[in-house]
Amino acid sequence: MSLLDVSDIVIRYGRLTAVRGVSFSLNEGDILFITGPNGAGKSSLLRAIAGVTPIVGGSISLDGKSLAGLAPEDIARLGLSMVPEGRHVFGSLSVEENLLVGTGMHVGKNGWRARVASDLEAVYDTFPILRERRNGQAGLLSGGQQQMLVIGRALMTNPRLIAIDEPSLGLAPNITDQVYERLMALRAQRGLTLLIVEQSSTRAVMTGGRMVLMRGGQIVLEGDAREVGTGDQIQAAYFGYEDH
Amino acid sequence: MSNATTVDTHALDSDKIAVRQPSRFSLAGRTIWTPLLLSLLLVAIAVITFMIGSRPFNQTVIDVFVRVILVVGLYVFIGNSGVMSFGHIAFTCLGAYAAAWLTINPAMKKISLPGLPEWLLATKLPYWQAAVLASLFAGVMALIFGRVLMRLSGIAASIATFAVLAMINAIYSNWESVTGATSSVVGIPIVRTIWPYMIAAVVAVFIAWAHAISRSGLALRAARDEPTAAAASGVDIPRERLVAFAVSGAIMGLGGALMAHSVGVVTPDTFYLGLTFTTLSMLVVGGMGSLSGGVIGVVLLSALIQALRWLEAGVPIGDSTFAIPKGLQEIALGIIMIVILALRPTGLMGNREVTLFRKKTK
Repeated sequence: MSLLDVSDIVIRYGRLTAVRGVSFSLNEGDILFITGPNGAGKSSLLRAIAGVTPIVGGSISLDGKSLAGLAPEDIARLGLSMVPEGRHVFGSLSVEENLLVGTGMHVGKNGWRARVASDLEAVYDTFPILRERRNGQAGLLSGGQQQMLVIGRALMTNPRLIAIDEPSLGLAPNITDQVYERLMALRAQRGLTLLIVEQSSTRAVMTGGRMVLMRGGQIVLEGDAREVGTGDQIQAAYFGYEDH
Repeated sequence: MSNATTVDTHALDSDKIAVRQPSRFSLAGRTIWTPLLLSLLLVAIAVITFMIGSRPFNQTVIDVFVRVILVVGLYVFIGNSGVMSFGHIAFTCLGAYAAAWLTINPAMKKISLPGLPEWLLATKLPYWQAAVLASLFAGVMALIFGRVLMRLSGIAASIATFAVLAMINAIYSNWESVTGATSSVVGIPIVRTIWPYMIAAVVAVFIAWAHAISRSGLALRAARDEPTAAAASGVDIPRERLVAFAVSGAIMGLGGALMAHSVGVVTPDTFYLGLTFTTLSMLVVGGMGSLSGGVIGVVLLSALIQALRWLEAGVPIGDSTFAIPKGLQEIALGIIMIVILALRPTGLMGNREVTLFRKKTK
């Protein structure tokens, strides 16, 4: 059974249909890139999976359990953590406070204190810069550091699947490299499943994994990132040339 | 470019790891200076007042302490959630009347408030027990109102809190046999010594601090900064708001009870728009986002009001007396507030807390 099953999702904003009938599934440990031009419906899809945006049709299930009608915080508890677009750190809190937000969900479980402490250490081990800045105000971190912080924060809920919206947005290429390097390391260490939205397929080709290309709210192309991303169809699919 | 070095993931400095605390949770230790210093300020004010020994000044400082409690109560909800509330004075009203019900002499109560239940008519508690109960009562009522209100957000929530204030005011202004309607309820034992007020203000400061650094407070402050990201991190925003609403309601109730004991009389209109405006402006001028802002806002604005009153009464300079026209006090206060907010839109403290050590950021 797959970890995440998305079937025939439809998302509407008033009369505008943002996503029309998208389906895919993800197995434990997979990487799936959702790419496509602006307005393709990628972010809407991701937000719907995290429970932030309501869907009007289709179904989403995590580990066989339907996510219909669940609030984002409940979905986070089930092990699906979303990193929204634009690195939304809690600017007025310190780095460590940012990481501790949301750990309240563990309170009361056996040995939760030790668990939170060890989760914190694990995040600091992954991103040593965060340990260095633990008492500093999160709003004052650089863009790359903020991206690491939001990924670290997502890790604190002990997710099985992380859904990230445009981790490379506004970052210098070498910083993006480092972010991806950390993500791949996390996947190797924890068997983390990754669902990543990126505008361009370049990252997907560099990283490998599966890729779907969305345009106009639908999946127009899918397959192995390296094959699809370097093939001839990609440009036509991305820009919407029709050749028949 | 600092960016290149900031994410050097291999720089696991070995001695840094060696001295690493068995992490957890440095938060309390790192922030305890804030409530300590604020309390020290309050204690200092109380001691100075006690040594001066002037009766009117004593009463003024008691008013300051009561307002500290009220503004700290406002901070717990408004500061941490970022949702403006115009209705918190309703809980002050609930607390004040509860204190009146519990402390007025039974013989007097039977005549002035005959509608009270039998057991309440027969009750006469010491003021401090009554204050604790009044605070709990206000907290429970806040919990009940909050269950409905906390689903709302933004301006809708603010207006709904205002509706609560209007509702409570309407009930207390009309329920003749229980609240005495618009006429004053008299006979509340007056407490003139300054210490209970100081202790209550210090307790309020510590409760507010403990709430802010708790998991619930942390989650709430995160939701204030970025609601979507907070929800995606597993924060149940309405629930955390409700916790803050109840805690702040209880503090407002405590302030109300002490306010009743400081003057011995309560009327519904004492707890309406005037007090709402005064307390909110103290919070905003001090800085909504921090506990220190609330406390310092009260102390500074109260001092300012006092100074203006003093000028209105007239100050002898040499042979003549310098006095500002009556009513200038309100105008001057308004102008000063506008100037402060124009220069520092986030308030005097600008979301910062007073503390002994600067945060270490390398």
